[in-house]
Formats: sequence, structure tokens, C-alpha cells
Amino acid sequence: MLNQYKYSIPKEAIGNTLIELAKENNKICVFSSDVSKSVNVYEFSQAYPERFFEMGIAEQSTMSAAGGMAIEGFIPVYVALAIFSNGMTFSQTRQVCNNNLNVKIIGTHAGVDDGADGTGHHSTEDIALSRVIPRMTVLCPSDENEVAAAIKAMIAIDGPCFMRVAREEQPIIHKGNCPFEIGKAEVIYDEGNDFAIVFEGSSLAQAFEGWEAAKAIGKRGKFINIRSIKPIDEEYIKDLADSVEVIVTVENHSIVGGLYSAICEALAGEKHKAIIKPVGFHDLFMESGPASEIKEKYGLNKAKILSCINHD
Amino acid sequence: MKKSVSVNYNELRHIAWKNRLRILNMVHDGASGHLGGALSACDIITYLGECVIDYSSDERDRFILSKGHAVTALYAEFNEIGIVKNEELSTFRKLNSRLSGHTNREKIPETEVTTGLLGQGVSYGVGMAFAKKLKKSKKTVYVMIGDGETHEGQIWEALMEAGHFKLDNLVLIIDRNGLCSHQPVENVISIEPLKERLESFGWFVKDINGHSMEEIDSAITSLKSQYGKPKCIIAHTVKGKGISFMENDGQWHRNIPTEKQYNVAKEELEAQIGGNDVESI
Repeated sequence: MLNQYKYSIPKEAIGNTLIELAKENNKICVFSSDVSKSVNVYEFSQAYPERFFEMGIAEQSTMSAAGGMAIEGFIPVYVALAIFSNGMTFSQTRQVCNNNLNVKIIGTHAGVDDGADGTGHHSTEDIALSRVIPRMTVLCPSDENEVAAAIKAMIAIDGPCFMRVAREEQPIIHKGNCPFEIGKAEVIYDEGNDFAIVFEGSSLAQAFEGWEAAKAIGKRGKFINIRSIKPIDEEYIKDLADSVEVIVTVENHSIVGGLYSAICEALAGEKHKAIIKPVGFHDLFMESGPASEIKEKYGLNKAKILSCINHD
Repeated sequence: MKKSVSVNYNELRHIAWKNRLRILNMVHDGASGHLGGALSACDIITYLGECVIDYSSDERDRFILSKGHAVTALYAEFNEIGIVKNEELSTFRKLNSRLSGHTNREKIPETEVTTGLLGQGVSYGVGMAFAKKLKKSKKTVYVMIGDGETHEGQIWEALMEAGHFKLDNLVLIIDRNGLCSHQPVENVISIEPLKERLESFGWFVKDINGHSMEEIDSAITSLKSQYGKPKCIIAHTVKGKGISFMENDGQWHRNIPTEKQYNVAKEELEAQIGGNDVESI
């Protein structure tokens, strides 16, 4: 049950994980654009000042400089709010991928998690903007332990990788040092074939509430953490679509170009049993407010998940 | 670090003329490309290829051509030093060729960075300069941008960062040919006073004639002993340099010569090169 879990802020795992990795790997560097405290890499700047580059409020140059560092053999990790590290840098990120460089990008405050700052700061397109670029790997871990595992996985691969991380508290459903395999979905519960909830990490709390609400009305289904948006676990998703009645995708992101789109793309072209229904933001700019209230108001909530499962 | 101790300016000028003919041939044969900006950058790129960058070494000085549309000047010099083969020159901008329309490091690693989207190259240079310092390498990172390219905001982000970090292993070369894609830079958006702007960002700045091998050599060499600031060479050049009817004419940013124009241009360049060398190009 959801209330058995402790909650924490997933982005807080970033700094310590990078410090731990940097101890073993002297190629790891961190780039910041004036938000090191907000994204929890300030502690890295204290632990490894010579491998920490504060570039100022200059996201485009930060991304390209990380590219230059990668050409010289280092592993630059650019950490900023997703609306900055992703939303401000499309052309520079695309050129990093075009150059096929080993640049790691972490975007915090995924989706509407920077709620109160308002629509300009909501990152509801970053999955779309990153996964559309050839060569880019896109990860969306959920709780703090999974974020730590995903950072280790992204450093272990060669090539560009974008990871979105929640700012809102999430239940800690993973143990420390949990396995994380890029390209593989994680089956958290498998209790029946009435439905499946497939969520991206920063919507774990809402997805879990939806899961419990469905169970409470007697539905039996599956609870799936997609983890890796690109590459996506196509084989598993196809099997899933052949076994359940409805797949509900849950994302703290626009349903245009995000998880819903990625799942639909994986299934289109062949007949499958399931219909696919989206829970997320429907091509809208939202408004200022606490992130949890924005999610509730704009339909990223258990009621919407339940109505999808009930075919309302 | 210079590859050779003694520099023969006449020999360098001769190679630059050959490179201009290669540039003309590539754009003519490919029926596509940018002549004006390649011809303005040709002398500096020739100098760097002949006298500075040792492409046989992995830990080398770097040259980033941020104004990637001038790539024919780089391919021409690469042909001179054996990185690009003679038979490749006629494949410029064609399918299945290594000679893509802008630099592409996956096709030709010596181009260092896949560029062409203007404004990004100086930032790559900043990142490489960080890396060289972290590795305690004495190597230098050279970046060439166009003067019109300074319209890009990212250039000024990188200029500010390089000044802040006192990246004295970074040399920026601005190809100050005075023309954007068809009209004077100053008419599009004024960039003057360019030198003072750069100095105020913490750069050491030198103005030179970008077609004088003596001045290029003197600037690159003397900058070696400047410490504590990033360095910029404002290279005053002529767009279309070396082909009479192309010089200072904005339409040659990306015009393709007709057969008649090609023959006139070819004759002009061949007259400068002279002798058997013409046959080999």
C-alpha cells in the first residue's frame, strides 16, 4: 500500500550519486548554469571544484561547452531544471547528438514540478524534444533510489542521454542500489488483465494513487514503470497490449510527443487487444500554483486514471 | 606548438593559391557551396594546417571551424596535407561522400566538431580549453568564426565565459570580411566597435591583415607568450579573395559560378599558381 512508503524529493539524490561516481571515475565533470543549489549539485562543486564548471545563466553555451569537453574524452554531466537544460537548448542538444558525443543531461523539476513559477517554467515537452533527436537515450526514473540507479546507468553507456527527474516528493518504492536496465520496463505489480497503468517516473505518486483506487473497486491489473522512454521496451509493451483490456499511460508531460505517443508508436501497425488511454496534459499551458494542485486541476490524478480504466 | 621552426611565406602563399583553386573546383563540381567565406578564410586555414596543427597526434592543438560553411577551405588544406584524397574533391556535397556541406567529425575526424549552425563553435572551444587545462596539456584551441556570426547570442555567452575563466589556451579568429549572406554586416546589425567589445569581455585582441602570411604567423606566434586572458585575432579579410569578380561582392556568399565565370576564375587562380602544380589540382 502507498501509505507504507516514506516520501522524499528524487532530485536530492543527484549530487551524492555524482560525487560517488566521480570518486571512481576522474572523467566525470559537472556543468551548471547558475542553479547548482536548486538541482543539488552544489555539494559536487565543493567535493570536486576542479571538475565543476559554473557557466552562468547561459544554457546554450553550457551545452556546447559540455560537447567540447566530451570530444576531449571527459564525461560532462549538465544538470539544470529541465526547462533550462532541455527547454532552452534544442539546437545545441541536437548538435551534441549530431556530433555523437558522450554528454549527459539531467533535467530536474520535470513536468509541472516547478509549479509556482508558472507556465514558462513548466517542462511538459522535454520527453518529446529529447526523444525526437537521433541517438538520444531518454530516461525517466521515479524515486530517489531509482534516480541514483539511473544516473549510474547513464554514465555507464557511451553517448548522449537525457534524464528527467522529479522535484515533487515521491514514495520511495525502490531499495538502494536497485537494478536499472536501459530499455527495460519494470513490472511493479502484476495482478490481472483488466488494465495496465504505465507511468513515467515523475508521475509515480499519482499513478500509484490511481492503481490503489482501481484495486479498491475490484479491478485487477498491472502497474508498470516505463523507466526508459528511448529505447522503449517494445517487446514488453506489445505483450502487455495483447494481455490487458486497457493501457492507461500516466505522465507529468504533454500527451503530445510524450509517453502516450511513444507507447502508441510502439503499438501502431499491428492489431492488439488493448486500447490506449492518456492521462497527462492535453496540449495546454497550465497556470501558477503548487505542482500537486496543478496536477489535480489539469487531470493528472487518480480520478482521471480510474475513469480511463472504467471506460467512462 | 608549431610543427616547423622555419616558415617559408612564399611557399605558404603558393599553397594558399592552390587551395583557392581546390575551393573553386569543389563548389563548381558540387554545384553547391559557399565560395566567398571560404576564400576569405583560406590563408589563415592554410597557415594553421601547414604550420600549427599536428593532425597525426591525438592530443593535439584543435581547430574548430565554427563558420562551417567555409569548409571547402579546410578540405582544400586537408587535401594538401593528405587527409582528403584527390579523387574525393569532386564529391563535395554529394551523396556517399565524406565531404559534407559543413564540417562533419564523423566523416572526417580532423574537422574536430560538426558545425554549421552558427554561434556554437566558441562554446565547444571553451569546453575543449577546460579539458586541456584539466589534462595539464599545453595544447591550444583555435576557433574561427565569421564576423556576421557574432550576431548569435551564444557567441557572447562563450566570450564572457572564456574571459571569466581566463582561458589563455583559447584563440578566437574572427574572419572579418565585412559581409553577411548578401550585404554588409554593419548594415544588417552593427558589430562595431568589435575590438573594444571583446576587450571589455576580458580578451586580448589583435587586428591583422588576414591575407598576409607574415601577419598571420606573427600574430599566432606572439600570442603564444600572452598569458592570463583568452586571445582574439580580428583578421581583416576580403570576401571572395583571389578571384577578381567575387571580391567584396555579397552575392558570392553562396552563388555558384556559371561555366563562363568558372573558366575566368580558374584562369586567374592558375596564373597565380603557375607551372606544373596546376595540373595536379
